[in-house]
Amino acid sequence: MFNNGYNNNNRNGLNSMSPTSSSTTTQTTSSSSSSSAATTNSQTQSLIKAYFKTPEGRYKLHSEKTRPPNLLPYSYAKSISQVTVAQLKDKPSQPALTPSFSTTGVRSAAARLLGGNGGKALSFVGGGGYSKTSNGSSRSSHFAGSNGTHYTNSSNHGGKGFFLVFNVGDTVYISDLNSPDKDPIKSLHFSNSNPVCHAFDSEAKDGHDLLIGLSSGDIYSVSLRQQLQDSGKKLVGAQHYNKEGSVSSSRCTSIAWVPKGNGVFVAAHADGNLYVYEKSKDGAAESSFPVIKDHTQFSVSHSRSSKSNPISRWHICQGSVNSIAYSPDGTYLATVGRDGYLRVFDYAKDQLIFGGKSYYGALLCCAWSPDEKYILTGGEEDLVTVWSMEDRKVVAWGEGHNSWVSGVAFDSYWSPPSSDDTEENIVYRFGSVGQDTKLLLWDLPMDEIVVPLRRSSLGGSPTFSTGSQSSHWDSTCPVGTLQPAPSMRDVPKLSPLVAHCVHSEPLSGLVFTEEAILTASWEGHVKIWKRPGEPESKSNSESLVGTSSKDQPLTGKGYSELLKSKQLAESKSNNSKTLLGASSKDQQSLTSKGGVFNFKEMSKSSRLGYLP
Amino acid sequence: MGAAGSKLEKALGDQFPEGERYFGLENFGNTCYCNSVLQALYFCVPFREQLLEYYSSNKSTGDAEENLLTCLADLFTQISSQKKKTGVIAPKRFVQRLKKQNELFRSYMHQDAHEFLNFLLNELVDILEKEAQAAKSDQETSSPPEKMVNGPKNAQANGSHKDPLVTWVHKNFQGILTNETRCLRCETVTARDETFFDLSLDIEQNSSITSCLKNFSSTETLNAEDKFFCDKCCSLQEAQKRMKIKKPPHILVIHLKRFKYIEQLGRYKKLSYRVVFPLELKLSNTVEDAESEYSLFAVVVHVGSGPNHGHYVSLVKSHNHWLFFDDENVEMIDESAVQTFFGSAQEYSSNTDHGYILFYESLGTINKS
Repeated sequence: MFNNGYNNNNRNGLNSMSPTSSSTTTQTTSSSSSSSAATTNSQTQSLIKAYFKTPEGRYKLHSEKTRPPNLLPYSYAKSISQVTVAQLKDKPSQPALTPSFSTTGVRSAAARLLGGNGGKALSFVGGGGYSKTSNGSSRSSHFAGSNGTHYTNSSNHGGKGFFLVFNVGDTVYISDLNSPDKDPIKSLHFSNSNPVCHAFDSEAKDGHDLLIGLSSGDIYSVSLRQQLQDSGKKLVGAQHYNKEGSVSSSRCTSIAWVPKGNGVFVAAHADGNLYVYEKSKDGAAESSFPVIKDHTQFSVSHSRSSKSNPISRWHICQGSVNSIAYSPDGTYLATVGRDGYLRVFDYAKDQLIFGGKSYYGALLCCAWSPDEKYILTGGEEDLVTVWSMEDRKVVAWGEGHNSWVSGVAFDSYWSPPSSDDTEENIVYRFGSVGQDTKLLLWDLPMDEIVVPLRRSSLGGSPTFSTGSQSSHWDSTCPVGTLQPAPSMRDVPKLSPLVAHCVHSEPLSGLVFTEEAILTASWEGHVKIWKRPGEPESKSNSESLVGTSSKDQPLTGKGYSELLKSKQLAESKSNNSKTLLGASSKDQQSLTSKGGVFNFKEMSKSSRLGYLP
Repeated sequence: MGAAGSKLEKALGDQFPEGERYFGLENFGNTCYCNSVLQALYFCVPFREQLLEYYSSNKSTGDAEENLLTCLADLFTQISSQKKKTGVIAPKRFVQRLKKQNELFRSYMHQDAHEFLNFLLNELVDILEKEAQAAKSDQETSSPPEKMVNGPKNAQANGSHKDPLVTWVHKNFQGILTNETRCLRCETVTARDETFFDLSLDIEQNSSITSCLKNFSSTETLNAEDKFFCDKCCSLQEAQKRMKIKKPPHILVIHLKRFKYIEQLGRYKKLSYRVVFPLELKLSNTVEDAESEYSLFAVVVHVGSGPNHGHYVSLVKSHNHWLFFDDENVEMIDESAVQTFFGSAQEYSSNTDHGYILFYESLGTINKS
């Protein structure tokens, strides 16, 4: 339909002026398939469906959050909006818990809250939140407001709940996830530089739980609750690090709290360095690090002065570090950057465990599986790469994005549909978003990874083999080395389960919460896609945890009782630190025993269906 | 002009690459299409070196007739032999020659940079081929016995089907595509090879070059109105067709089809689509399992909202620094600024600077066997 002289001349992309054809075949003319594909593509982009289907049911668009509509384009064009989900718990100053209340139901609520379902900045920083036991028992928190009848949180900004923190232009906006309201409840302006990244720690002990990194390199830590209670448009009670770029004047690209790090956080910069800070220390203290001799070599320098903050500098690579992610328990740190390498470090030992190159181009994002066995990366070759910690190499490539992959995450709340098959099989669910405006969901069945062979003839279906095809596939890579990019044919491919156009502009990130998938676009639009309703048969796990909040309607008496028990559980944990530590440890051992990743079987047929 | 030059020199400081010259090109009224492409070609180092070599070796054989090749060689020599490191040069002779040679470029209208690049490369090849032909016939007249032996062959070569002469222009830019068509009835695969100097890609909103290349090589079914005449079946048949890259070029030039004829409007329209291009690229749609890796070194950018007006500028990577050439002006830019030329994610954006022609240089082929 859009064919014409101009396109037909070049329809095969040939240089129309010079081809010296050496053929005997009759030349055929046809409508270019790619141009018709372009037409359908732009049509689908203007019609964004409010739901998408998965094997477990429909994900529906629940609500949207966005910046104020009257913003001028130039104010948001300069930086890419990122989203952090922040969970504020009750204030520590709640009345103490009476001992008689420690029932199983309360304990499960406590476990859930300690797990910290919320505080993840597009990657699962900080442990927990993925216990299957707690999964089944609590389907409460952040959508309570949507039921309308029992929404009380809107005026209570100093209270608890789930909040969205996102940056647009020179402003950080905070939205109440519980509220049906589209508009943010709070905006924080930065006059000199744009905020570009942030992180939240729901387990922060002394108030400062929110980190904000700026394009100037400056970093602030603040208390989210304090910001919400203040009526102004400036940060209040902030601690300022790397003031006016005194340590590094290059853009802060990614920031993360060290899980269980007692207020230690790490900021990544566009100059290829990471700086480790302690939030308790005076941010103004001078610090100097030796000159980096070889920019291509990894090096760690600890500050000589005990007063210095940052306390250490990690030189990672030449060019920007684009994203960092701690493994859930904080043992490992993954970084991705402009040079196209994923690097995994043992954080405590300052040691490179392994690294590997993208197929080509820079890597833009990374995320850990909740069990720390796998890492996802996304980058400029349009691929989602799955890396194995055990094998220290690429184990699969996800093909499906039509542009750069800007956000990846494992869905730690998902569990495969039940099956009678008792065979041990692990399936991971993960998601990715890209600059193609799409959200893709993927299933990674670990026993079904196959190596595709070369296509034998034109158009023929590819042959698959589960055997080992190449040296890449056979070997485990040695510790401490950087691997070159594997060849296309050596890496098994995954196809997405779902590909859904979720916004009309490029996407910047995604977050899985217990109830939903959150997708964020560059210009500060966040969509909340509610998970499908629970199948009826899944209620047997509830007996394990006593009182089931899920069975209670989230309105009226049932919900308020739930709130009460949550408060009690929280106040209990908040009042006694030792109890807090112990219970979170309990939860961890529980999960490692098989609570979480004892994934049930998927039916064989559906599993095969997902393969390319 | 001196001020701008010294500013760039200051910005580069000690890092100013030795022997390198960064010169802006004067605009003679809508000649930015020419300037932007010339800068990209100048910083295509193997091309520049071979052109300069050609110039110096031909100079000694006496003054040849002026043509586009000698004018280009002259211009490049003029730039590279400047005493100053930065400044402005007027490509007067070259532009005059271009206008003399081709009617299309004679007017003061806005011209298409891709058409100019095509014209120039083909013109250079023609000139080199003619020179080679002339040299050959000189040789042949001096050695009659050889001519006798090769008589019939030469007659053929001089006819419509020339011997494929591989010039240094070919060595830099030429790649080979193979067009495979499989008849769905007899399963016979017909492969037809075609050479190219650049790949023209259809583009989609919010996509990547990788994705456009994938579409380019995707299998297309020929049916209904578009059946394929199968030589074996001797009739029109349904068939599957796809393009693969048989020989990747050393310099990969990618042209984004941003100017599209819209039938309903009866005119060309500029597609401002956001098409991201990575700084490193691999071609995976190759016939052999050779994965050639490329590195981006120049981008010709079209500035403006329509096809018939606007401006061209170019981004060039030289010695690991990115430079911005806008006619007379040369500035240093950060590598991260390249992404501001990807296009607009939504229509009616204020951003009208869009990457139009991409130049990638091969880093060598990793042949995995």
